[in-house]
Amino acid sequence: MSVPPRRDGSPLSRRSFVKGLGAVVAAGAAAPAIAACGSSSGAVTSGGKTTITFASAKFFAQKTIGQIVEEYNNAQKLVNVQFQQLPTPSQSTEVHQQLVQALSERNGSIDVFTGDIIWISEFAAAGWSAPLDSYFGPSVKAQYFPGVIDACTYNGAMHALPWYLDAGMLYYRKDLLDAAGLTVPTSWSELVTGAQKLMAAGKVTDGFNWQAKQAEVLVCDLVEFIGSNGGSILAPDGKTVTIAEPNAVAAVQFMADTFGQAKVTPKAVLSWDEVPSELPFTGGKAGFLRNWSFVWTDAQNTSSSSVAGKVGVTSLPAFPGGKNAACLGGYQFGMNASSTKKSAAIDFLTWMSSPATQLKWATELGLAPSRPSVYTQPELAQVNPFMVKLQDIFTGGTPRPKTPKYSQISLAIQAGVSAALTTGNVESNLKSTKSQIEQIIG
Amino acid sequence: MVTRTAVPSSGPPAGHEPAPRRARYRRQGRPGGKPRSFGPILLVLPMLASLLAVSLYPVLRTIWTAFRNTSLEAQSDSFTGLANLRHLEQDALFWKAWRQTLEFTAVTTLAETLLGLVIALALGQAFRGRGLVRAAVLVPWAIPTVVTARMFSWLFDQGGLVNYLLVRTHLVGQPVNFLGSTTLALPTLMAADIWKTTPFMALLLLAGLQVIPTSLAEAARIDGASAWKYFWRVRLPLLMPTLLVAALLRALDAFRVFDLPYVVTGGGPASSTQTMSTYAYNVLFSGLEIGYGSAIATAMFITEVLIAGAFGVFIVRRIRQED
Amino acid sequence: MAVLASSRAWKRPLRRSAFGVLVTGIAVWSLFPFAWQLITSFEPDRDLARFTPTWLPVPGTLQHYRNVFVAKDFAPYIANSLIVDVSATAVALVFAALAAYSIARLPLPGKGAVLGLVLAVSMFPQISIVTPLYEVMIRLHLIDTYAGLSGVYIGLALPLMVYILWGHFRTIPRELDEAARIDGAGPLVALWKVVIPVALPGVVPAALLGFIASWNELLLALSLMTSPPRQTIPVGIANFTGLYSIPWGDIAAASVVVTVPLVVLVLIFQKRIVEGVTAGAVKG
Repeated sequence: MSVPPRRDGSPLSRRSFVKGLGAVVAAGAAAPAIAACGSSSGAVTSGGKTTITFASAKFFAQKTIGQIVEEYNNAQKLVNVQFQQLPTPSQSTEVHQQLVQALSERNGSIDVFTGDIIWISEFAAAGWSAPLDSYFGPSVKAQYFPGVIDACTYNGAMHALPWYLDAGMLYYRKDLLDAAGLTVPTSWSELVTGAQKLMAAGKVTDGFNWQAKQAEVLVCDLVEFIGSNGGSILAPDGKTVTIAEPNAVAAVQFMADTFGQAKVTPKAVLSWDEVPSELPFTGGKAGFLRNWSFVWTDAQNTSSSSVAGKVGVTSLPAFPGGKNAACLGGYQFGMNASSTKKSAAIDFLTWMSSPATQLKWATELGLAPSRPSVYTQPELAQVNPFMVKLQDIFTGGTPRPKTPKYSQISLAIQAGVSAALTTGNVESNLKSTKSQIEQIIG
Repeated sequence: MVTRTAVPSSGPPAGHEPAPRRARYRRQGRPGGKPRSFGPILLVLPMLASLLAVSLYPVLRTIWTAFRNTSLEAQSDSFTGLANLRHLEQDALFWKAWRQTLEFTAVTTLAETLLGLVIALALGQAFRGRGLVRAAVLVPWAIPTVVTARMFSWLFDQGGLVNYLLVRTHLVGQPVNFLGSTTLALPTLMAADIWKTTPFMALLLLAGLQVIPTSLAEAARIDGASAWKYFWRVRLPLLMPTLLVAALLRALDAFRVFDLPYVVTGGGPASSTQTMSTYAYNVLFSGLEIGYGSAIATAMFITEVLIAGAFGVFIVRRIRQED
Repeated sequence: MAVLASSRAWKRPLRRSAFGVLVTGIAVWSLFPFAWQLITSFEPDRDLARFTPTWLPVPGTLQHYRNVFVAKDFAPYIANSLIVDVSATAVALVFAALAAYSIARLPLPGKGAVLGLVLAVSMFPQISIVTPLYEVMIRLHLIDTYAGLSGVYIGLALPLMVYILWGHFRTIPRELDEAARIDGAGPLVALWKVVIPVALPGVVPAALLGFIASWNELLLALSLMTSPPRQTIPVGIANFTGLYSIPWGDIAAASVVVTVPLVVLVLIFQKRIVEGVTAGAVKG
């Protein structure tokens, strides 16, 4: 595929600017006055392509990342990207470990990488990822969803460039709600009532499914429940722990009640992550489901789903007085702080995160764009009309706690909240989780 | 370690009385006469070299790191003495994992030894299709652990096969929450491990049974002993050293269980299936705290030494008994 | 080894049928999940998503096998596993046999210490040796090489093999190698010609268990073999799962493909064991 045509006012023109300047340098002209390049040197070697290494977790659909990278390589003559494949994101601990091993060596062995949105603060605080503000100014940042820019920022500096997004959303059985005369719930209590009605009528065995396995996904669900009650796990200052505040406690109590007194959720949810919780829904046995965007495609797959054409999707409900909170997920781009080929890397990153390429990610790999502008492209509506709906959901997206010690804190939260849910002692378990988190933050 | 042959020998030559044979060994001392002290060492050298290269350096380095606060995250790496140990003492999650791992080890080793023995005895008999059944028995062991773990998480899920059968046969009214229950999750993992690893024990025990000479069976039959007595008084004692060694190896392995809890339950719910390995893995690879993680690994090592010691006492006593 | 006849004749048919039930039970217990994987590998995706299990995949599909070999290109993973695991098992077997013979039979100084060391080293949790091992391999430039991973697997298989073989060498009657020695053979020839054939019941399980353990090893393979062309089967299967999709059918097909050779191996070698033992018994 050839390089897409230029659009006005888009980073593409900036890209051409950088490319043009690079060409000038290659021609041996005066040293580039690109403020962007900062202190890195040796960006472009004359007469040949600069080779940079790009390490990414393995994503695939109709196309692979490697194929998209090849398109970049063929589309310009300055940079040659060598793609290094890491394990699949389902083995995120291994991806994390391999990235950390490479980055902590501080030898520029990889120049550009993709990392989970929750690792951004960690890499930033450790000095492994380069701050990108000098390359992508406020006008560029404004072109992305505010939630993802927030997630990519640590201590006021942007350490990651957005790639794709995902968020938690509410799936529901349109057909069953219509038949029962129920409206799509906007509050949790409405959802519980609706679920109970459907269960009582015998239409479904599970009223509302979500994920409570002692794994990262529990923190995601937690952020959504607590966030929709106006609470949080960690205050924006990164030091005050708010997980034992009354609104958080109430939210977690609600989570426990779904399989406790409300009985709309099976207790098996305590062992479910994304896929096991999806199966009853696509099998026609559940009324409501909280999950990521992938469920939509699975639900419409007539060869494996019993509910094709019967599913609706909307933002998650909220508690009274609260606003809905969708937990943001997705991998984002980072640049190695020790990279010796920064301007080549930036050129590559700019292309990878450009609107045109984001359209490619969406249509060919099913990765939702992090730029609102892409959602209005007609091609997206053609290929993946569902994705267009995601724009609203992503606008209310919330990141998980941004702290360098996120990995450890997440483990503490998982253990504490799982204990709260299984024992029913919500307040005491949240209090002990709070002190554990405080110990970790130090 | 005792090096005398503990088993009354026979084999191809006609059976002799056990006692004189053993006495003969004791009197003999070094066979061969000529002192060839380098030969034996040379034979052991390749093994030792491989072992030391692959295992000893990492082991020593881990123990060394256990006394430091090495952390990729905080980018620290200095000697902190017993600080990690003190942290361990107060770490409730560590002790929870420790208890659960011991529980897991004890139950699975016992079950696998007993079941393995039953299977080995059955497979030791001659019957048609024995070769096929022997091959069948090894199949669970041969399936990659990742696949086994996923199989079991599906099998015991709310909508899985086990619940399907239980509900269909009216043994329960509603699907049982196996993997989401703090009381049932660990036993479910034990069941998965027992299914997967019993063949290992069966194979070792079968090999151990097969070196017991058939002449003993003949002698026992002539003496009119029943099959049960023959087993209890003759075969089992002869099998004991092999059984104890196999059980020891199995126990040490079980203590390090990782794949099953990690893939199936992630250590939950409420950390009820957290084992030492999954806990150490979290600390090392998620928390990137190499120092503390090494301390946990060293604690695991010490526990295993204790377990091996306990077994060792039995093994040595057994071997001494046979004198 | 024949079943001892009881003096009561009526017990025999009862015992035989009880025995039959036991053996059938063992076979079902062992084979059921594998049979289930086999069935799953032939079921089209549509049926896999349903809750009621279908006992026979009718009509079946070869799609999953096609996915495994064509789309996911599984054959190189199999080749890599074979190269690494066969070489590791073979070398480990030789090293272990030599060492076990020496410990069991020859005047080796410090036998106890050696055995203790072997056991102690095997008691360390693998997860904690991954990082130091990785550091060492990086410095030796052995990351992502067959020799590197194979060498590591040798080290890991040795303790188990040494113990199994040691146990078996101890049970071999000393007259065997003494007889060979009297005939003028050195200890190694005695080992090769006389002791090993009789110790086959121990050598085969040692080799099999060592091989299967490396065949299924995931953690080190993941850390030490970083490029897809060199990766082994467990890594390949682990990579089947996308972020939120578990392709049961494909995983089942891959695990069938991966397990069948092992079963065949066992079938072949089991016969050898039986021959070895019955030959010995007949001579007596």
